[in-house]
Amino acid sequence: MRLACLLTLLGPLIFMTAETSRADPLRQLGGSLPRRVNGWAVEGRDRFFDDKTIFDYIDGSGEVYRAYNLRGCLSRTYSKEGGPAIVLDVFDMGSAADAFGVFTHDTDGEVIPIGQDGRWRPGWLNFWKDRFFVSVTVQEENAPAFGAALELGRQVAARIPKEGPRPELLAHLPPKGLQTGTIRFLHHPVVLNYHFYLSDENILELSFRTDAVLATYQRGSGSARLLLVQYPDANTARRAAENVRRHYLPDADADGLARLENGKWAAARLKDRRLVMVLEASSRESAANFLRELKLTEGG
Amino acid sequence: MAEKRHVITRRDFLRAGSCMAVGSMIGWPHLERAALAAGSSRVVLVRHDGVVDPEGQVRPAILAAMLDAAVVALFQANDAAEAWRNIVKPGDTVGIKTNFWGPLPTPPALEDAVQKRVTAAGVRPQNMAVDDRGIRSNPVFERATALINMRPMRTHHWSGLGTLLKNYIVFVPSPWAYHGNACESLGSIWNKPEIKGKTRLNVLVMLTPLFHGIGPHHFSKSYVWTYGGLIVSADPVAADATGARIIQAKRNLFFGEERPISPPPRHIEAADATYGVGNSRPERIELVKLGWDQDLLI
Repeated sequence: MRLACLLTLLGPLIFMTAETSRADPLRQLGGSLPRRVNGWAVEGRDRFFDDKTIFDYIDGSGEVYRAYNLRGCLSRTYSKEGGPAIVLDVFDMGSAADAFGVFTHDTDGEVIPIGQDGRWRPGWLNFWKDRFFVSVTVQEENAPAFGAALELGRQVAARIPKEGPRPELLAHLPPKGLQTGTIRFLHHPVVLNYHFYLSDENILELSFRTDAVLATYQRGSGSARLLLVQYPDANTARRAAENVRRHYLPDADADGLARLENGKWAAARLKDRRLVMVLEASSRESAANFLRELKLTEGG
Repeated sequence: MAEKRHVITRRDFLRAGSCMAVGSMIGWPHLERAALAAGSSRVVLVRHDGVVDPEGQVRPAILAAMLDAAVVALFQANDAAEAWRNIVKPGDTVGIKTNFWGPLPTPPALEDAVQKRVTAAGVRPQNMAVDDRGIRSNPVFERATALINMRPMRTHHWSGLGTLLKNYIVFVPSPWAYHGNACESLGSIWNKPEIKGKTRLNVLVMLTPLFHGIGPHHFSKSYVWTYGGLIVSADPVAADATGARIIQAKRNLFFGEERPISPPPRHIEAADATYGVGNSRPERIELVKLGWDQDLLI
């Protein structure tokens, strides 16, 4: 009788917990992750953080994940006697675009075929897949720990059922000379300034409602940096273009091109909801060429 | 966008001939003004090749001796006790701002050494506290008449470097509000009435600095090295600028090429030029070097 009463009382709660777990992609993924890898075993319980509590876990760079719409973070430690700890962090970014974006924040390292765009450098494996960004950190590198980190990465990637698409805006980048490792997808002015300091004010009116892509080009001996921003509406795009004209390129010529103080060339052009900026190009001709090429793919 | 002061853009730095984009420590547009207004600052760099043992543990006795040597040189005192009596008075309430960051905290041995010396200078134990994240609700910090600031130097995701200047970010209720433009405005915190003029000593711990960061946690043992140093000064900007030069030199050496601190630690120059907290330029810093001089990097 007591058991029946207890089940009656707790039933909805148990149901709700199970439902929450099913509804939360991060917890769902967490439940499927391996408990042991190459002799390393899970230590303690998984910890979960959201966009507010992430600062309790990551001191300093938590804001990077917030700048990409962080939904949640699962942290798990694997340990082995005599071996260094291996820390697995899985970030649910809510969308493939933002998982890709947070991955592009730091793309250094050796390309490794794990997940999407896997990278390895001493002590750190990272990749993105679908809506998740995955980080495996080895506190102290040695060969067995390196092997375990890679194997853990492979197993996590395998449990994320599908790959995610890259942001649509990338398709508008001219392919010739594009340095793919330099692509940064972003929304936030602080992130833009981290990669390319533009101004102390948010003159581009970047926000969570804007998508932006920054990339470097190398064509022969000439180089250039391009920025494409897609706004939620034409009015915001116009305001941003006007800010650029007023604060950054007040000396632009009739073609919209300006010679910077370091001898390089910059330009900006607006079309509908999209602002295109050549931030730095080796020559006037190069900047003009990029504007022309980008014009071919404008719209949207 | 709000109509306000002149918007500072990349072009201002290009115009000033700055290499800010590649992390130079020179060329801040307003630097000349502060350089004219300020005097010089003394900074003591003390090192010992045995302060960190082969297992990476700090040797407390050596660390305490380094601290004593540094304050004697800094205050040109006859001995450490006299130097500490210059730093704090018996009637002071002393907040010792430490740093608890997990992978590289302020060494407890340094906290112990400072507490003992503050007590020996006559400060009552109940009028002294060591704290980091809890300082805003710590009663000693709330009524502090003197502050001692100490932390390890490390690269930092947003500010380029975790510095003495940045160590005070937890004095404000919204630290993230200072993350913009590589934490450029950190110096403004030092001018808040509850803080300004209270800091008597800054100790930048350079025992095993982090010179490069990776991953969400920005830490790997691959990027720390045993430097075995303390940088001690009454001027946090001068101490930070000195530490930054060492970190930059280590990065260049390790990577075999110019590898600027990223993002550039603008807040150090801005604390000098914009907020007048101290001196960032080497020509305004009197650097006193003590002890182990191998691989000094400065």
